[in-house]
Amino acid sequence: MLAALIGLGLLTGLLAGITGQQAQAGTTDLGNRAQPLLAEAETIYANLADADTTAAQAFLAGGLEPATLTDRYNDDLTRATTALTEAARLTPEGSAAAESVRSISTGLARYTALVATARADNRQGLPVGSSYLSSASELNRTTLLPEAKKLFDSAQQEVRDGYGDAAGGWWSGFFALLILVLLGALLLAQRYLSRHTHRTFNVPLVAATVLTLLLGFGTATVLLTQNRHLNQAEDTGSTPVAQLAEARILALQERGDEALTLAMHGSSDEPEKRWQAADPRLRAALSNTYLPGATSGSYDAYAAAHEQIRKLDGQDGNYDGAVKLAVGKDTTAKFEQVTADLSTALDQRKDAFTTEIDKAGGGLVVLAILGPLVALAICALAFAGIRARLEEYR
Amino acid sequence: MRRTITTLATAALTLALAACSGDASPLPGSTAQPAPETSTSAAAPDTSCNARASLRPSGALPEPGNMPAGSYMATIQKRGRLILGTSQDTLLFSSRNPFNGQVEGFDVDMGRQLAQAIFGDPNKLQIKVIGYDKRVSSVRDGDVDVVADTMTANCSRWKDVNFSTIYYEAGQRVLVSKDSKATKIEDLGGKKVCSAAGSTSFLNIQAVTTKPIAVAKPAFGDCLVAFQQNEVDAISTDDTILAGMAAQDPYAKVVGEKFTEEPYGMALSQNYPEFTRFVNAVLEKNRANGTWTATYNKWLGSFGAAPKPPAAQYR
Repeated sequence: MLAALIGLGLLTGLLAGITGQQAQAGTTDLGNRAQPLLAEAETIYANLADADTTAAQAFLAGGLEPATLTDRYNDDLTRATTALTEAARLTPEGSAAAESVRSISTGLARYTALVATARADNRQGLPVGSSYLSSASELNRTTLLPEAKKLFDSAQQEVRDGYGDAAGGWWSGFFALLILVLLGALLLAQRYLSRHTHRTFNVPLVAATVLTLLLGFGTATVLLTQNRHLNQAEDTGSTPVAQLAEARILALQERGDEALTLAMHGSSDEPEKRWQAADPRLRAALSNTYLPGATSGSYDAYAAAHEQIRKLDGQDGNYDGAVKLAVGKDTTAKFEQVTADLSTALDQRKDAFTTEIDKAGGGLVVLAILGPLVALAICALAFAGIRARLEEYR
Repeated sequence: MRRTITTLATAALTLALAACSGDASPLPGSTAQPAPETSTSAAAPDTSCNARASLRPSGALPEPGNMPAGSYMATIQKRGRLILGTSQDTLLFSSRNPFNGQVEGFDVDMGRQLAQAIFGDPNKLQIKVIGYDKRVSSVRDGDVDVVADTMTANCSRWKDVNFSTIYYEAGQRVLVSKDSKATKIEDLGGKKVCSAAGSTSFLNIQAVTTKPIAVAKPAFGDCLVAFQQNEVDAISTDDTILAGMAAQDPYAKVVGEKFTEEPYGMALSQNYPEFTRFVNAVLEKNRANGTWTATYNKWLGSFGAAPKPPAAQYR
């Protein structure tokens, strides 16, 4: 009987430690690796899309590319490269994400080289510069962006899996079962002793039972709190982050396609078809509760300008007017209001996630350390309680 | 979806594909493979017609701004602009000037001279950049009024469109790096030679007896990129297009004699023969009054004195 009780107690302690440690590790991984990886993947994806859009607009503007666009392109690439280094650190060796990071790194080096040549040619007035720019754009759209999307998708999957791991999985269920078995064993032991001895209560065993109950309730509280914060982190953090990120990329691609239609000078209507297909999706995404109500209005203004650009270029045959409107201050300001709102909302949601994950991780360390100690105390009390009775038989 | 983007990006930005005279691309509807008559034309040109002979002008040119009622020129005049289909990456003929974003060159000036004759204003011109494989179909379908895009007048195209009289005589040559020992296309056996996909230039490379490896790129600008990145050893297409490339790369030279004949004509709709006659009358006038020579000197003068304008031939 003694051996069984002590065995159960030790097992409970072990499991309390493992449950706490697992949930702790899962939560830490979610907060310190999976979510940052998602953020870096989003940065890479969005900045590559923006670089392509910027390069196309600089080309459209004609002449020496405007300094603001050059700066923006450089910033895009700096941010993408920095995020890529971070992402490389956050991806486990051999994973699909690591593979994507590798091919983006390789492609990005080639992309920057092509754009650099395009600029050098453009500076000398050589039309082949635009061919270099198109090669670069093709590389971006056919290799870099799809890989960035893959990285973003696998980071999202890791976050989803991360919630499962963080909840502690079946360890917590097993632990709950064990607590019940231990409680039952303690009660049985006490009933046996009260029938075979003169004492109704065995004080150390009663104390052990109370401690077991406390351990059970304490663990439940910690795990439920963690669970609530994890749900919060998902609902107000990672889910809207993914939605907003996709909306921002959609917006950037619309703007890029608009420039592309003009740059192709009427030789293809594919980019415009993509614009039209993206429009309803983006409108739906902009009704996100975490965006200010005015964002939809800003987008409407931009979309109206886009219609005007298409009318000028398509129906009126006023190509120069269309280009002027497309790269002009007004249209740019309207569009950038949309992306700025999206960026702000994204940052807020990332912060919300971090806060909730920090809270979720709170009690878990205590559980991992205190759980086994309490279990040892239960064992000691059980030993003390039963040994006293055994000695009476001698 | 990705595939679409690929295709698009291929065409992307400027890149207005090629537009080599040697375009062998079939009309839409049979895009899967080159039409039989064009693929054999590499070895044996279609001589079923005289591709250089166009419709004879009828009477004197009408006054600019006063086109005869009911004619297609009157329709253009009413619209207020002439729509020219061309490319934007063929330096000297029609390319985008990186300094101001305008498309300009010999072919564009051909369009401007027509606008001058219709409106009295060479700037009443809308430039539409078209894919090299859309040159026949965009004229036939009425998307543009005229195509001037280093386009060879040949018999298979005469089946779908009218051509003006010849305004430029080109021929296929080969561009190699400055230190290359090759002096003609035959010296490039086993070497990679680039041309635009679906062009007759491309088919002509394949027909060379010493078997160079023909490499297809979506546009000639892409060929120059591949050449500068050492992906190919040479580029072969019309001398005019090669001249524009050599002008952009001091480490390239054009070698060998012309080994094909590529007479350029403007493509026009068969529905309005009066417009073809009008265009030929404008060409006739500009050959005689020195405008053609001035245009040649403006764009191609650095290659030597202007030759005599190609003589008009009529059916």
